[in-house]
Amino acid sequence: MTANSIKSSKAFSVFKDSAICLVVLTAATLAGYAFKAFQLADADIIMLYIIAVLVISIFTSKMYFCLISSLVGVVLFNCFFTYPEFSLSAHDAGYPVTFVTMFITAFIAGTLANKLKRNILIAEQNAREKEEAALLAQNEQLRADMLRSISHDLRTPLTSISGNASTLISGGDTLDESARQQIYTDIYSESMWLIGMVENLLYATRIEDGRMQLNISVEILDDIVQEAVRHTERTHPKRNIIVDMYDEIIPVMADANLIVQVIVNLMDNAVKYSDEDSDVTVSVRRENAYAVVISVSDHGTGIFDEEKEKVFDMFYTGGSRSSDSRRSLGLGLALCRSIITSHGGTISVSDNIPNGTVVSFTLPIGEVDLNE
Amino acid sequence: MNEYLVLVVEDDKPIRNLITTTLKMNDYRFITAVRGNEAIMLSASHKPDIIILDLGLPDIDGVEVIEHIRTWSDVPIIIVSARSEDRDKITALDKGADDYLTKPFSVDELLARLRVIQRRLMKSENISVTEFVNGRLRIDYASGCVHLDDEELHLTPIEYKLLCLLAKNVGKVLTHKYIIQSVWGTPADNSEASLRVFMATLRKKLSDSSQALIQTHIGIGYRMMKL
Repeated sequence: MTANSIKSSKAFSVFKDSAICLVVLTAATLAGYAFKAFQLADADIIMLYIIAVLVISIFTSKMYFCLISSLVGVVLFNCFFTYPEFSLSAHDAGYPVTFVTMFITAFIAGTLANKLKRNILIAEQNAREKEEAALLAQNEQLRADMLRSISHDLRTPLTSISGNASTLISGGDTLDESARQQIYTDIYSESMWLIGMVENLLYATRIEDGRMQLNISVEILDDIVQEAVRHTERTHPKRNIIVDMYDEIIPVMADANLIVQVIVNLMDNAVKYSDEDSDVTVSVRRENAYAVVISVSDHGTGIFDEEKEKVFDMFYTGGSRSSDSRRSLGLGLALCRSIITSHGGTISVSDNIPNGTVVSFTLPIGEVDLNE
Repeated sequence: MNEYLVLVVEDDKPIRNLITTTLKMNDYRFITAVRGNEAIMLSASHKPDIIILDLGLPDIDGVEVIEHIRTWSDVPIIIVSARSEDRDKITALDKGADDYLTKPFSVDELLARLRVIQRRLMKSENISVTEFVNGRLRIDYASGCVHLDDEELHLTPIEYKLLCLLAKNVGKVLTHKYIIQSVWGTPADNSEASLRVFMATLRKKLSDSSQALIQTHIGIGYRMMKL
């Protein structure tokens, strides 16, 4: 905000508060006339002005409005309701005392109301701050857990890579060919694991307040599935991947890169938890006019019923039954769920028949009106 | 010995070593540059056949290097970038880069990109202005007919425009923005979605479900491969 606009917004606030005073005091005076017409006592009219000051104190921001309106209230009462009317003099000897009492009462009541209002505002703000702090703490906790988990799990492959490389540097030629080959393979597979991990971490940093920041557009589902399959074929060249989808162009509302990552993660899991000679299948079918279901299934050992919900929790790694005892961060599926729910879809695990696991998720179908 | 000379522009030494070792093992000739200005000078003095260019350079931006080189040369440029620089990648392609590699990339990927470019360089020596032949696909520009083997394909005007655009830039990754501007002129709100659907229908007509001919680069654009 510029100094000028601060000044003008301040001026506006003074103007607004003055208008409130004017309106409320006028209303009190008019009501006073009605009271007088019904032969009600002076005390009731004084009450009206005190109420007016209370109202003004609540709805205006500055204390001096309360002070001024208390004074003006006394003057108006004196002017309109005491004999002689329409003058500032009062014939009855008791009136000055009444005026002073009225002023003090109005002013004290107004001050209290104003203070009360401020306290409520402060309390509200405190509650809000507390809530924000709690959310922040929760995010911090998540981040801390993530960092701890990551630094622990990254240490193992890094130790293996650096150790193997230093063996090669210092005494590579004393090893026989098969031992060297084993070291090369280990370095390669450990670094591939790290690459996959870093990819997931990169996406995980986009989660805020449990939600993913998305970049949604209309995408063709076939493109997304093909990209994910190509990626998995590259990282697992030995595995047979079956793609089962209709020859149909399905537009979906999606952040394509994220959905590719979801399918890649699901296929990685399917590959990891099943035998090397078994197939992994990606299938697509329309659920209804608004949603499409994408499933990744394997013929592995499957997941126990009591674990089915937990697999989507962050850092849940289960009883690690991976075929090659690979480590897992328990990040992949949690990330998948976060991505899918942010897309307005659902993700779930079920059993494959006769054995194995099926993970399915839904995506909203998009509409395209063609620009021909 | 490979007759192609590759200019490698990369400031990170291990990555530079990785690229040059790969090139050496596959009989490419190469020269290296660490800085952008050096790269511009070398490409003018040595006239490389292919440039591999890292986008994050210590002196000037990789995109600037492309702009400079493009003022006098059409040399194919493969950019190398980190995943987080998606936007830079698109800018670089719009400024005239031909292809991209995302770190971490595998040696196989690098070699595959080089082969794509080589295939294009070889074929472009005998280009015909009236006809385009690529694998089973044949476009007769004069009559506006498209054949797949001997079968004539019936394409809508937009599909035909898209196909011709891809064919004229075969081997090169074209960004969404570039394609939309070339085909529709002024971009509309639904241009990108439309483009995706048209590409999908075109691909279906070309019986290219495996994306062997037209590749989709998610978030970037499309490319026709030289078969």
